[in-house]
Amino acid sequence: MSAVASPRVAPAARTDLLSWITTTDHKRIGILYLSTSLFYFFVAGMLALVIRTQLARPGNSLVTPHAYAQLFTLHGTAMIFLFVAPFALGLANFLIPLQIGAPDMAFPRLNATSYWLFLSGGLVVFSGAASNEGAAAAGWTSYVPLSAIKVSTGLGQDLWIVGVFLVSVATILTAVNFVTTVFIYRAPGMTMWRIPIFTWEMVATSLLIFMAFPTLAADLLLLFVDRRLGGHVFDPAGGGNVVLWQHLFWFFGHPEVYVMILPYFGVISEIIPVFSGKPIFGYTGLVLAAFAIAGLSMGVWAHHMFTTGAVNNPFFSFLSFLIAVPTGVKFFNWIATMWRGSISFQTPMLFAIGFLLNFLLGGVTGVMVASPAVDYMAHDSYFVVAHFHYVLGGGSLFAIFAALFFWWPKMFGVKLDETLGKWCFWFLFVGFNVTFLPMHLMGLEGMPRRVFTYANTGRLPELNLIATCGSYVMLVGTLLFAWNVIVSTVRRRPVGDDPWGANSLEWATSSPPPEHNFDKLPPIRSERPVWDLHHPAGPRT
Amino acid sequence: MTIGRRLFISSAAFALVIACGYWVVAREITGTFLLGFLAFALSFIAGYMVVAEKKADLWGDRDDASMAEAADQVIGTYSIRSPLPFWSALAITSITLGLVISPTLAVLGLLAALVLGTFFIIQSR
Repeated sequence: MSAVASPRVAPAARTDLLSWITTTDHKRIGILYLSTSLFYFFVAGMLALVIRTQLARPGNSLVTPHAYAQLFTLHGTAMIFLFVAPFALGLANFLIPLQIGAPDMAFPRLNATSYWLFLSGGLVVFSGAASNEGAAAAGWTSYVPLSAIKVSTGLGQDLWIVGVFLVSVATILTAVNFVTTVFIYRAPGMTMWRIPIFTWEMVATSLLIFMAFPTLAADLLLLFVDRRLGGHVFDPAGGGNVVLWQHLFWFFGHPEVYVMILPYFGVISEIIPVFSGKPIFGYTGLVLAAFAIAGLSMGVWAHHMFTTGAVNNPFFSFLSFLIAVPTGVKFFNWIATMWRGSISFQTPMLFAIGFLLNFLLGGVTGVMVASPAVDYMAHDSYFVVAHFHYVLGGGSLFAIFAALFFWWPKMFGVKLDETLGKWCFWFLFVGFNVTFLPMHLMGLEGMPRRVFTYANTGRLPELNLIATCGSYVMLVGTLLFAWNVIVSTVRRRPVGDDPWGANSLEWATSSPPPEHNFDKLPPIRSERPVWDLHHPAGPRT
Repeated sequence: MTIGRRLFISSAAFALVIACGYWVVAREITGTFLLGFLAFALSFIAGYMVVAEKKADLWGDRDDASMAEAADQVIGTYSIRSPLPFWSALAITSITLGLVISPTLAVLGLLAALVLGTFFIIQSR
């Protein structure tokens, strides 16, 4: 069996609603994933703005404490389960078959089913807001006993369980599809050591999903049994154990962090070489580092539980420190790729550089809180909030925008406006740092996370006000992106197949690609087949 | 040995090493069980891949394979459109949502899933 794209007899491409509902084309499913996750991002972002507005001054009463708890629960849930991770799945859906020269995913109908389960899961989570006692309010980690029936009596928590369960099932099915497609459906000559780094990162991510997400699904079932069927798994009064929830949740939860970052390492690894005019430095090292991160991330879950006193802190601290090594290898390779390159500061590259700067700070504070001595002080404070927002907001979010600007021409056949793109970048970059940099200081001043107000002491009022102003600057950046999409769509200036002079196989086909992906595949003799095609006399990598 | 097999075998071995290391250092049953079970599950996939890929000969694994060599290969039938995924997802959502909201919804979802499953089997023949 091979991965040759045998031409399919397809009717003329339809664009009506029914054709989108019944589609099994990986590119359309990818676009559905991307647009749905961006919708959830917009909703979660609006919730964040309400949170920041509430915290702008001490003693504000914009929302009640219970409403505030619902806001941060839905914000965290939407950003993690419905935006950052699914966006990567959408991007991979669009790109993987194109990057390996396959006509589609291995299981197209399963792929479509995954998308619909993801969409419905998100809607179920949010539908809790319409129930009597409102949405879930136990945080995205849903710690027991906060999520137990004795505390969260409303339907919202049950709907959260069902919604997240559906999303987790969808994610597992998608990972199965990715791995099967990459292992089996590569085009002739596209050996594993020639597939693009993004696809490699998605293989590592899928492996993590296999290992972590079944645990989440199992946790949710157990919590449901406790809440609705009278179980006592997490109920100490019935012989259960609340710390068990933390073990099971973080056994999924920490790898989930890497599910949300590894794909974006891939995005950055695709963009930097193109805008540096050089091949990627250390292809093999980047791949091995991805798997080292994935493997190590399965053994560090309890660094979220240092303060419980129920885990072996030195063991988890040591393994957490170790993750910095392969991550450092990646950073070294990205910088070495740029070194003495012909760097072009177009919008995707700006966002990639923004990613490097922000993620670096998030990584450094990550190493700090991996030390139990520091973690005991910073745990559950705004320092931790700043840390993970620098990783997932400053890291993943900037890579998401980089990906949107980079692959938009391939998806829709038009480029996003460069000038608006640069404005979007600077508003987001400045807004992001103004929002989250002060949070380190808030944490050091002792401000706990998940509180709806705070004492009017020290520098907390000023720092909170600055952070709130920054969040509105980010809103402007996001709206500029939306305006850019509208302007570029209306102008509709078509671009060629390869507007950036890129390397990987997706740039060898038309923009947007036909339903069967490729009319003709170029010979694949390196990890840069399109560069080889356009530079037949050039040096080989 | 293909990279896929190596990947799962090395992952399983790594999980086993971490599980043993954790037990030696921490003597903590929950984490050891989680890591041990992870190693078992990965071994299962690795074992499956060893058996399933025994006679695999993929064009994508050959450095020098050309497009012309692989011409006319049939790699399966791709459905361009199908209503099944949408309705299947709706049925699964009804089953799970029904457990929380109303058993009737769950039963309806189950019936819909049975009908869709039958339709899928008939269509696949």
